[in-house]
Amino acid sequence: MDRIIATAEALWRMMRRIAEILLLLHWFNLLSVEGTRYSLPGKPTLTRCRSPEKETFTCWWEPSFDGGLSTTYALYYCKENSDTVHECPDYHTAGVNSCFFNKNNTSIWVNYNITVVATNALGSTFSDPVEIDVVYIVMPHPPENVGVTVLEDKGWPFLRLSWEPPHKVDTRSGWITLIYELRVKLEEETEWEMHLAGQQKMFNIFSLRSGGTYLVQVRCKPDHGFWSEWSSTTSIKVPDYFQRERSVWVMIMVSSAFIFLIITWLIHINSHSLKHYILPPVPGPKIKGFDKQFMKDGKSEGFFCDLVSIHFPATTTPNDEDLLVEYLEVCVPEEQELKMEDKGEDGCPKSESSTSDCDSGRGSCDSQTLLIDKCFKRVAPGLDIECSQTGTGANEIQDSPDVSSGRVKTWPSVYSPLSQHPVDLMHSLDKSKQHCLSDTLFPSDSSCPYHSHPDHSTNDNPDSTYWKFCFNNKQRLLLRPQMETQWQPHAYSEVNISATVRSSDYVEAHNISDENTVVLHSVSSSHDDREGTGYKYQGEDYSHVQRVGSDNVLMLQRGLMKEPVDTGFCKNQQANRAAGTSDTSPITRNQKPTVCNETTLSVNGPAANGYVDTATMFIKPTQD
Amino acid sequence: MNNSLTHVMLCSVCTAPVCTNAQVGCHAVSLNNLFDRIIQHSAKMHRVSNDLHQQFELHVLPSRNQVGRGGHICHTSTIMTPNGKENAQRMAREGLTQVILQLLMAWTDPLMNLHHSSTNVSVDMSSMVGELRRGVQRLAEKMHTLGLLTDPDSSVVSPEALMTSHPVPWRLMNLYDILYCFRRDSNKVHNYLRILKCRIVPEHGC
Repeated sequence: MDRIIATAEALWRMMRRIAEILLLLHWFNLLSVEGTRYSLPGKPTLTRCRSPEKETFTCWWEPSFDGGLSTTYALYYCKENSDTVHECPDYHTAGVNSCFFNKNNTSIWVNYNITVVATNALGSTFSDPVEIDVVYIVMPHPPENVGVTVLEDKGWPFLRLSWEPPHKVDTRSGWITLIYELRVKLEEETEWEMHLAGQQKMFNIFSLRSGGTYLVQVRCKPDHGFWSEWSSTTSIKVPDYFQRERSVWVMIMVSSAFIFLIITWLIHINSHSLKHYILPPVPGPKIKGFDKQFMKDGKSEGFFCDLVSIHFPATTTPNDEDLLVEYLEVCVPEEQELKMEDKGEDGCPKSESSTSDCDSGRGSCDSQTLLIDKCFKRVAPGLDIECSQTGTGANEIQDSPDVSSGRVKTWPSVYSPLSQHPVDLMHSLDKSKQHCLSDTLFPSDSSCPYHSHPDHSTNDNPDSTYWKFCFNNKQRLLLRPQMETQWQPHAYSEVNISATVRSSDYVEAHNISDENTVVLHSVSSSHDDREGTGYKYQGEDYSHVQRVGSDNVLMLQRGLMKEPVDTGFCKNQQANRAAGTSDTSPITRNQKPTVCNETTLSVNGPAANGYVDTATMFIKPTQD
Repeated sequence: MNNSLTHVMLCSVCTAPVCTNAQVGCHAVSLNNLFDRIIQHSAKMHRVSNDLHQQFELHVLPSRNQVGRGGHICHTSTIMTPNGKENAQRMAREGLTQVILQLLMAWTDPLMNLHHSSTNVSVDMSSMVGELRRGVQRLAEKMHTLGLLTDPDSSVVSPEALMTSHPVPWRLMNLYDILYCFRRDSNKVHNYLRILKCRIVPEHGC
């Protein structure tokens, strides 16, 4: 019996052992066959520790793999300079895998050495220790009670934001000092507009869009710590003040349109004068008998003629100023009809085509400086006006004294280098115009009804009245009647000049009456009533043209000529030459009419006609 | 007794006479204004110390050696400073003021030495500490004049006595410890000053 019991016990022990072995084998089998291994838990890591108010703090950790077995975690810490290890007092308040340190367990300005341990059936794994000081891990809660209202500042709305610190943070005792930051955006926008508010708990936002909905968020941060989360979004809608804006704009637009209309109307009313002001019209040649069309058909020469500073009556309605221009009278032969062009003609007369044996100065109208010459070359078909220059003109005058063609040779006596002086085509004739004496060639043809006589005393041709005109730098014409005659408007239909002047007196066109009557005033040397105008008549500055030299030299003579000399230009220069007595001063063509440039010119009134101003030397280029 | 003690405390480094409102030619600064200036100064000091410490950790300690961290023993650890809000609020104004002055006085010499000896630290923080200390002293004088410092029971220990009882002479501290400890102590000073201000002149910014 005893033997049976012992045998049974031995069998039982053996079976147990076998079972354990089998279990172990099974276990090992599990491990090897299925591939699963149980191991120590993975190393946990402390992710972060935060304190919301610098009085408590919480630490969170991240578990690693658990090794197949249930794993428990524990947090241990020790304070600075103390070897006592404490375990986390609270694992639950802050959630899973966290440790909450309450106020009693929290010391500020003390280093905490914290470690998390993961333990499973096989063992424990320690995490890396973390040292923290609560002062530097403060991350408060977001600000609370964020309020937004719309206020008005002088009619313009603005947002006023206000908030409070999180209720757990003690700012009243100065334990924590928070600074705030807010961000604003319109509902439909994507980017926020950030504003730093400092320690204040209130903020204003201007420049709003009317009718828009704004979203606002606020956050806070202690001096040395982390920013809190953004508070919950507060939205506000700005009321429409667009009406007021729009009304202002409407008013602005209406008044602008009104002003624009007024300005347009004013411009339209004054378009004429504005045009004159902005684009002064080119005065046409104010020479009677010039054919504008004739000139227009001209070639380049006519172009130059346009530049001539001849006062041509404006084509527009003649006002007084326009007509205060000395007219160049041209003396035409009888058979040729003086065609009096309207005063407003521009341009130069066309070059005459007819013969001009009287004076071949016409052919000399090529000089650029003597633009007037060219002008005078171009004559209306019915009008022969001869341009002449000192040089060739003189020559021609010499050579062909006869002017049977009846051409009136006129030449400007003063030519500033016209290329240099732009032609002043302004048409105002003021009293102070310069007075230059010019040689006026007149047809000496006896057939010329308007034969001009240098002899001022003669009055054989009552019809002949000639005007001397001269040009000065200002390009004004001064007509001087050489004959004491009644101005008989032979074919000068447009101008009625009634003036009785002494021969060789200078007259000046003062004004023009309404019916195109030129009122002339005689200018006598005896009384100089034009001093105020700068007109000084002195006899010394005028001299006779004695002759024209061979090389375009105008020979003048000095001294006063008391006796009238027959200087029928048309006849020839010989008359001129004959007139000269004493000195002759060769004047080269290079001399500039300097005197004429000055405002004060002396006029030798009673001197014989046919004298040319010493200053009025015109230059004829030698490009003939 | 109280007066002599406070006198010792307050006028140990008195350099300027107390300026009352009645004095001519003396621009009296309000207490609030004085507090603001002092707090600004301490904030700047803490900022500098924080930057120094961070720079040191970044460049001089590239490897976050565990041995290097922790175990900082500051020579000011003997100064009894409140380590929590309740402790700080429980402390009287005089106590707080004294703690502040003690801390500031404890750091004058080490920082001066640090500035002169170490090439890594170029900022002379000792002058900052000295200025702040003078400001706090002036503040204490003013408070005393205004009768705000009246508690006679606070254990006032002269700063000079404190300075001789450091457990760790500061000369034995290495650079890292000095930077670490100063950063912390400047934070303490800043915080204590804020608490003092909100307790005495709470109307602005508290």
